[in-house]
Amino acid sequence: MFISLQWLREFVPYTGSVKDLADRLTMQGLEVEAILDPFESIAKIVVGHVVDCARHPEAEKLSVCSVDVGAAELLPIVCGAPNVATGQKVPVALLGTTMPGGMEIKKAKLRGVVSCGMICSERELGLSEEHAGIMVLPAGLRPGQLLTEALGLEREVIEVSITPNRADCLSVLGIAREAALGFGLPLTMPALNLVEDAAAGDAPVDVAGLVRIDIADPELCPVYRARVLTGAKIGKSPDWLRYRLLAIGQRPISNIVDVTNYILMELGQPLHAFDRSLLKGDVIRVAPAQPYLMDAPSITTLDGQERKLLGSDLLIWDAERPVALAGVMGGANSSISDASTEVLLECAIFRPGTIRKTARRLALPSEASYRFERGVDQVGSLFALERAAQLMAEVSGAKVLTGIAMSEPKPWADRSHIFRLERCNALLGLTLTADFCRTTLIGLGCGVDDTDPACWQVSSPSHRLDLEREVDLFEECGRVHGLDRIPAVLPKISKSLESVQMSDTEFGFLQGLKAWAVGAGLREAINYSFVGTEDLDRLNLPASGRIQIANPLSEDQNVLRTEIAPGLLNNVRHNLSQGNASLRLFEVAKAFVADTTSDTSARENSRLGLLVHGARHSQEWPWEQGEADYLDVKGLVENLLTHYRLASQKTVAAYVLEPGHPYLEPCVRVELPGTAGKDEPTLIGRIGRVQPKIADAYHARKDVWLADLDADLLRSLSRATTPVFRSLPKFPPVRRDVTVICPATLKSQDVEAAIRDIRPKLLESLALVAVYAPDANDSGTPTERNLTFRLTYRHAERTLVDKEVDKEHGKVLSGLPQKLPVRI
Amino acid sequence: MNETLKSFLEGLDGLTLECEARRGQACSLKDVEALRVEFLGRKGKLAGAMVLLAQMGPEDKPAAGRKANEIKAALTALLESRQAELEAASTKDDLAGFDPSLPGRRPAAGSLHPITLAMQEICEVLTGLGFEVVAGPEVENDWNNFEALNMPPDHPARDMQDTLYISDNIVLRTHTSPLQVRTMMSRKPPVAVIAPGKVYRRDSDITHTPMFHQIEGLLVDKGVSMADLRGTLTAFVRQLFSADTKVRFRPSFFPFTEPSAEVDISCMLCGGAGHIKGEPCRVCKKTGWVEILGCGMVDPNVFRSVGYDPEAVTGFAFGLGVERVAMLKYGIGDLRMFFENDVRFLEQFS
Ligand SMILES: [Zn+2]
Repeated sequence: MFISLQWLREFVPYTGSVKDLADRLTMQGLEVEAILDPFESIAKIVVGHVVDCARHPEAEKLSVCSVDVGAAELLPIVCGAPNVATGQKVPVALLGTTMPGGMEIKKAKLRGVVSCGMICSERELGLSEEHAGIMVLPAGLRPGQLLTEALGLEREVIEVSITPNRADCLSVLGIAREAALGFGLPLTMPALNLVEDAAAGDAPVDVAGLVRIDIADPELCPVYRARVLTGAKIGKSPDWLRYRLLAIGQRPISNIVDVTNYILMELGQPLHAFDRSLLKGDVIRVAPAQPYLMDAPSITTLDGQERKLLGSDLLIWDAERPVALAGVMGGANSSISDASTEVLLECAIFRPGTIRKTARRLALPSEASYRFERGVDQVGSLFALERAAQLMAEVSGAKVLTGIAMSEPKPWADRSHIFRLERCNALLGLTLTADFCRTTLIGLGCGVDDTDPACWQVSSPSHRLDLEREVDLFEECGRVHGLDRIPAVLPKISKSLESVQMSDTEFGFLQGLKAWAVGAGLREAINYSFVGTEDLDRLNLPASGRIQIANPLSEDQNVLRTEIAPGLLNNVRHNLSQGNASLRLFEVAKAFVADTTSDTSARENSRLGLLVHGARHSQEWPWEQGEADYLDVKGLVENLLTHYRLASQKTVAAYVLEPGHPYLEPCVRVELPGTAGKDEPTLIGRIGRVQPKIADAYHARKDVWLADLDADLLRSLSRATTPVFRSLPKFPPVRRDVTVICPATLKSQDVEAAIRDIRPKLLESLALVAVYAPDANDSGTPTERNLTFRLTYRHAERTLVDKEVDKEHGKVLSGLPQKLPVRI
Repeated sequence: MNETLKSFLEGLDGLTLECEARRGQACSLKDVEALRVEFLGRKGKLAGAMVLLAQMGPEDKPAAGRKANEIKAALTALLESRQAELEAASTKDDLAGFDPSLPGRRPAAGSLHPITLAMQEICEVLTGLGFEVVAGPEVENDWNNFEALNMPPDHPARDMQDTLYISDNIVLRTHTSPLQVRTMMSRKPPVAVIAPGKVYRRDSDITHTPMFHQIEGLLVDKGVSMADLRGTLTAFVRQLFSADTKVRFRPSFFPFTEPSAEVDISCMLCGGAGHIKGEPCRVCKKTGWVEILGCGMVDPNVFRSVGYDPEAVTGFAFGLGVERVAMLKYGIGDLRMFFENDVRFLEQFS
C-alpha cells in the first residue's frame, strides 16, 4: 500500500528523511518496496500568468496568449481552450517538457503563429478528468513557481508491502504507529471537531430513535454504527482531498465517496455511504442471504452487475430488501448519486472469513473487503465514524444529525496472554531485559501486569488482532529489538537412532542415477510436470488415469504428465527450432497417475527418460559418422543395468517386442526375469522409436529414440543386490567360435538362449562377436544372417584338454539345428 | 705359449675385427639377428672357435676361457649397439608423423541441469551440517500443504501462494513445507531434515514460473533458538557463496513460523557496496543485499497439528528457492531459460 510522508507526519512528528523511514520500517518487518514521487510526471510544469489573450488572426477557436512564466520575456502560447482569459494563473508546460501521456512539448507554428509551450487542462496533468478547458489556478500564485509546489502536491510516497498478519498497518495510522515505535516518537490522533445538529427540520431528532439496527448474528457482525447526514451537496471534493487521494493512487469520485476512501486509507476502517432517501423503512438489518431470500437470491451491486448469492453471504438490508453486500460492495438500489442529499454512513465490523468467502467467490476484491478479511479494529471504529462524519460535513455542507444508530451485540473483550521472559530469550537466542520487553509491549499498546516476574499477564490492543499468543509477543520483542541483532550460533544437531541416515534415500539414488547419465554423455533436461491435454493426446496416451488441474494457467499446462516422454519431445522441438540437430538428453522426474487408494489421489512414479536423436557421435574426426539408432539407446540401458548390478547371469534382461504401443514403433519391453523363475518378469521400462508421424509433429525428420525406465523400481532392485567376490580363475580358458546361419527373423537372444539351454558343461561365458547378413532378397531385405558366438570354456581346477572341450562344443554344434531352424 | 693357444687367441681377435667390419652393413633388425646367429649362435663362429678349447692343457684353459668370455661380450656389445642404432632410427621415423594436436576420440559429454547442480551443492552443504534428506509427493492434500501449517481455509495467508488445484482438497504442493508435516508425523524429535523438490504456483511472468524448486530445512529439538537458525544459515551461505558473505534477518511473516524472517545476504556481485566502479549493481539493484530465503521458528500451532508438545520442543524451519540460488551463482539472467532445455544452455554446465 502507498503512504504519503506528509500525511504520516500529521500523526507522528517524524522529521527525518524518507529513506531513513523506509529502512527503519523494512527492518521492523514492513518491507518498503519503493520510494516514489507520485507527481513526477508533472514535476516540470510551472505557474504562468496570462498577461494578454487575443483571438488568433486565422482561427476562430484559437487564442494567442502572452504568458509570464517568471522569465525575462513573455512566452507566446497558442491555446485552443474556450475558457482562457487575460489575468488568469494557469499551468504551463514549457518547451522540452514531456507530458504524463508521453507527448513532448515542442516549438510549433499554429496557422502561422509561433507557440512556445502549452497551457494545460486538469486531464492533461492527470489531476482529474476535466478537459472542457484549461485549469485555472488560484490568483495569488507566483509566475514561474513549480505547479507541484504551488498546489502543495505530495512528492514523497512509500510503497509498503504488508504481510497478511499486519492488518493494523493497512492505514496511515498503522504505519505512523510503527514509525512512532521505531523512532521513539509520540503518536497524535487528529482532533475531532464534530458538530451535531439536533434540529433537522423542525423537531429535534436523535438518530438512535430514527434508525434501528438489527443484527442477526453477533459472530458475523459484532458492531454496527450509523450516522445520518442531511442536506449534503454532492460534488467535487476540495483540492487538498483530491490531491491527497491522487498521491496514493486513488481516483477521486465525489466528496462523500472520497471521504469514505480517505478514512479507509487514513484509519483503515472501511465505511459505506447509503443514499438514505432510497432506503425503505427505518431499520438496517445485518443478516445472511438465507433464510430471508429464498428463490434465486441475487443483488445488483453499485457497479451495475447482478451478483448471484449464496445463503451464507452476509447482506445489509433495509426494511424490505438487501441494499449491500456487507463489507464487499454497496447495492445499486441505495448508492450515492449526484442527486443525493441524505446520507446514512455505515461503520461496522464483519467476520473476516465470511467477507473473504464472498469476495473471493464473486471475484470482487476491494480495499474494503481486503481490510475486513484481515481484521479491523473494533474499538477504533467509533473514531473513524466520527472523523468521517465531520469531514463529510466539511466537504459537502451537510449537517450531521445528533446521535448514532448502533448495535454492539458483541463488544470488544480484552485478550490476555502470559509472557515468560526466560522463554522469550530462549526462543530468540537473545538476552533482552525485563525493562526492554515491558517498554516495548506498552509501546505497542499492550497492558502489562508483571506482578509475577516470571510470568507476566499481557493484554493486547484491539488493533493488533495478530497478537493472539505468547509467541506473538516474543516476536514483537524480537522485532523491535531487531531480529538482525540475533547472534549466530551453530547448533549441535543430535540424531535419534531411527533417523541415522540411510545411504539409499530416494534423493540419493536419483542423484546417483543422474551422475550415471552424465557419465554416459547425456544432458539433463528439467520440464514442467504439467503438459497440455493435447500433448498427451498426440502420443495416443489413454485418457483414463490423467490428473487434470482444476484451475490451469493455460490449456498447454492443464494436466499432469502420465509419462516422461512429452516433456523430452517438447525439448526436441525447441532444440531443432534453434538448429541444435543432435540431442542426447535425459530427465529424471515423476509421472502422475490417478489412484483413488492414495491419500493424495495420485500415484507418483519417478521415471528416467533417455532420448537420442541425430548424429550418434560428435560430428568431427576421428569419429565415424552415423545416426543414433536402437543399439545406441539399448546400449545405454544395458550400461545402466550393469551399473546397478542388474546384468549378472542370473538377471539377464530380456528385450521383448511389444506391438501396438501408443507412440513407439518398434517398442521393446525391458524385462528382468521374475524371482525364483516362477513369477512374471519384471517390466523395467521400454525402449523405442517415436512413430515417425508423431515425431513429425515435433519437427523431427530423423528417428527419435527413447527409453522410459522406472527409477523407483531400479532403486528397489539395485538395493537388493550386493557384489559377491569370486576367486579369479587360476587355469586358462579355451575359446571356440560358432557361426550360426539363421533366418533374419530369428532373434539373437533366442539363439543365445538355445545355446544355454543345451547346457554345455564348463561353459563360462557366451558372447555375440559378429553379425553378417550375406544375402538379400529382391526387395533388399536380408533373408538370412550369420551370427557368430564366442563360447568360453574353463575348468576351475585344472587346465582343459582339447578333447573334453570338443565334446562339449560338439553338443552345441549338433544341438542348435535341432532346436532352431538354423545351419551351422 | 703353445701354438694352440696362440692361434685360438688370434682367431678370436679376428672374429671381433670381422664383426666390427660387417656390423655397418646390417641395415635392419633382421640383418642384426642374422649376424648374431652367425657369430654367437649355437653353431656360429664363436662356437666354432671354442672347439680348440677342448684340445688345450689345463694350464692354458683359464686364460683361453677368459679371452673367450671377453670376445663374447665384445661381440654382443657390437651387435646390441647396432641394434640400438637401428631402433632409434626407426622410432624417429615412426614419430615423425605423430601429431599430438589432433582431436581425441572424445566420448559424448553429459551435464547436470543447473538447477540440479545448485540443488546438489545446497544439499551437500546442509547434509554436511547434519541434516538428512527426505522426499515426499508433489500432489498433496490440503491438510499437509496448508491446514497443518497453520493456514486454515479462508485465511488470507493462503493468498500468499497462488495455488494450482486438482480438486477441492488436493493441490500441487505450493512449497516443500508439507515435508515438515510428513516428517514430524512419522518421527519423534529430534528431527533434522532437508526436503528438496519441485513446487508449483499459479503464477507465470518474467520472475515466476509455475513450477520451481525449493529446499526446506527443519530442525526440532529441545532448546533450539533463533540464534541456532542464524548460525546454520550463516554457515550455509558462507559455504555456498563465500566465506565473507554477510547475513541479514528482516522480520516477515509466514503462517507456519513465528517469529518469521526474510534472509538477505550481502550481494556477491558488488560485495555489498551496491555499485561496481560507480555503476549501479544490477543484481542487488543498489541495495547491497540480495533476498535469498525465508525462515523462522516453527509455529506452536504446527507442533500441535503434528502432535508435538510446543512447551517441550522448539525448532526452526527455512525454505529457499533453488532457481534463485542458481541464478545468483551462475549469473543466469532469465528464469525461463531453465525450462527450455536448449542444449546450448545445458552444455554450459558441463
Ligand atoms: Zn550488488
